[in-house]
Amino acid sequence: MSDLKLQHLEKIYDNNVQAVFDFNLDVHDGELIVLVGPSGCGKSTTLRMVAGLEDISNGRLIIDGRDVTQVPPKDRDIAMVFQNYALYGHMTIYENMAFSLMLRKENKNEIHQKVMAAAEILDLTSQLNKKPAQLSGGQRQRVAMGRAIVRTPKVFLFDEPLSNLDAKLRSSTRREILLLHKRLNATMLYVTHDQTEALTLADRIVCMSMGHVQQIGTPLELYDTPANLFVAGFIGLPPMNLFDVEIRNGQAVCEDFTIQLTEKERDLLAGYEGKIVTMGVRPENAVPGGDITVDVISNENLGQNTLVNGTVGKHKITCKFRDWCSYKYGDKVSVSFNKKHFFDKETTNAIRA
Amino acid sequence: MADNKEALIKKDRLRFTKNKLSSTLIILAIIANALYFVSIYRSDVGSYYYKIFIGASVVYNLIFMLAAFLASEGVKNYKLSYAYVSIVLGVLQIARIFYLPTEAHNTQNPMVGFENETVMSGEQFTYVTVCLCVSAALLVCAGIAGIMKTTTLNNYLAELDKKQ
Repeated sequence: MSDLKLQHLEKIYDNNVQAVFDFNLDVHDGELIVLVGPSGCGKSTTLRMVAGLEDISNGRLIIDGRDVTQVPPKDRDIAMVFQNYALYGHMTIYENMAFSLMLRKENKNEIHQKVMAAAEILDLTSQLNKKPAQLSGGQRQRVAMGRAIVRTPKVFLFDEPLSNLDAKLRSSTRREILLLHKRLNATMLYVTHDQTEALTLADRIVCMSMGHVQQIGTPLELYDTPANLFVAGFIGLPPMNLFDVEIRNGQAVCEDFTIQLTEKERDLLAGYEGKIVTMGVRPENAVPGGDITVDVISNENLGQNTLVNGTVGKHKITCKFRDWCSYKYGDKVSVSFNKKHFFDKETTNAIRA
Repeated sequence: MADNKEALIKKDRLRFTKNKLSSTLIILAIIANALYFVSIYRSDVGSYYYKIFIGASVVYNLIFMLAAFLASEGVKNYKLSYAYVSIVLGVLQIARIFYLPTEAHNTQNPMVGFENETVMSGEQFTYVTVCLCVSAALLVCAGIAGIMKTTTLNNYLAELDKKQ
């Protein structure tokens, strides 16, 4: 395995549309990096540039200390797992997994050993004589992963590998990928638009929007200290509640409610006295009991949590309560916010000490 | 020790790979047979033998190709019976040399102006004989390879069953 450096990577298409802007990332040996963002944010384009499937317009790509910016895909020693599996329908699972090694004209006995080892890891041994059409979606994706494993590449690339699976299978396959990563200790670059995948799998997350990197950090950093409004809104489910508030005399004043700021928050917002900032509150940080009244619109029980959607004056709000609740439309619930995030209204960046 | 391991891996590989060697040899045998029959029905041979057994010969060629193709698919999947079919077809290819080609080669051409020639020239006889011999050899080899590989695989699977 090896490390990967993306230095000032940019992608500009022939029609002058720029898909990726100044992408910088150092992926350490054995690290699992997840690129996350909405559709069209440039995450797959970045991955394809790393794979060599897209030309790099500007910047450098370094794998294990070697500049591979202009190196053809086959010589980069990278394996990619696609969303649609890309298996050969007329070949058996064994042949699919062995195919890339056969093309390299490796020793047949060695190929066999590698395929059997990968099949053992992925629990595919009993499926080796079947054709892809005889397998479930999850098994097919495991075959695609097996095909990547047998090559023992320097870097694994995953392009939304779980998108074609149903929710239950996605969850189990996600765990398998995580176990695989731990077992192989492989350097992996993983693209997804699903923040749950990102939060559960990643050692570090790269959050992207409109071709720009918004924040790079551990899942906890992105969740707990989002760099800007975009990250705050994108990471977390349901998304963060956002309110425009004026900072006045140690209080956050909104037309529908007023919140007393803590001493720490007052220090943080000292330079914003009399100004309007955006206050973010995660649904799970809105707790029952307090002086903010929510008019309930709907009540969604999720088992151990309840999502309560409502309004505070003109503002919509979603609260995530820990217990099983049975609010009805029109009920009034008092809440308070036990943690708040503040963002500069103009730059949308988080206000930090 | 290393040789034993290699041999074991080779056997284990049979579980997941097809017998492409035998299958390919049979396909080559079919091609050799095709080269035979495009030559054997030349106008002078065809005209002289323009009777029922030319038709039978054509039908046999069609049946041979179908049977050989089925045998090719069978041995590919380690079916022992198809390996034997392949050997039988090979033997029949040799037997065919002594039927139409030999007869035509030993019969004087009845056409006016060809009194000193046989219905099948020596050159053509050599060509069709070589085609049939090659076809026969390929079929027999395919059959033998098929029997060996299938037996090895079956024994190995039996060993695995015992272990389990």
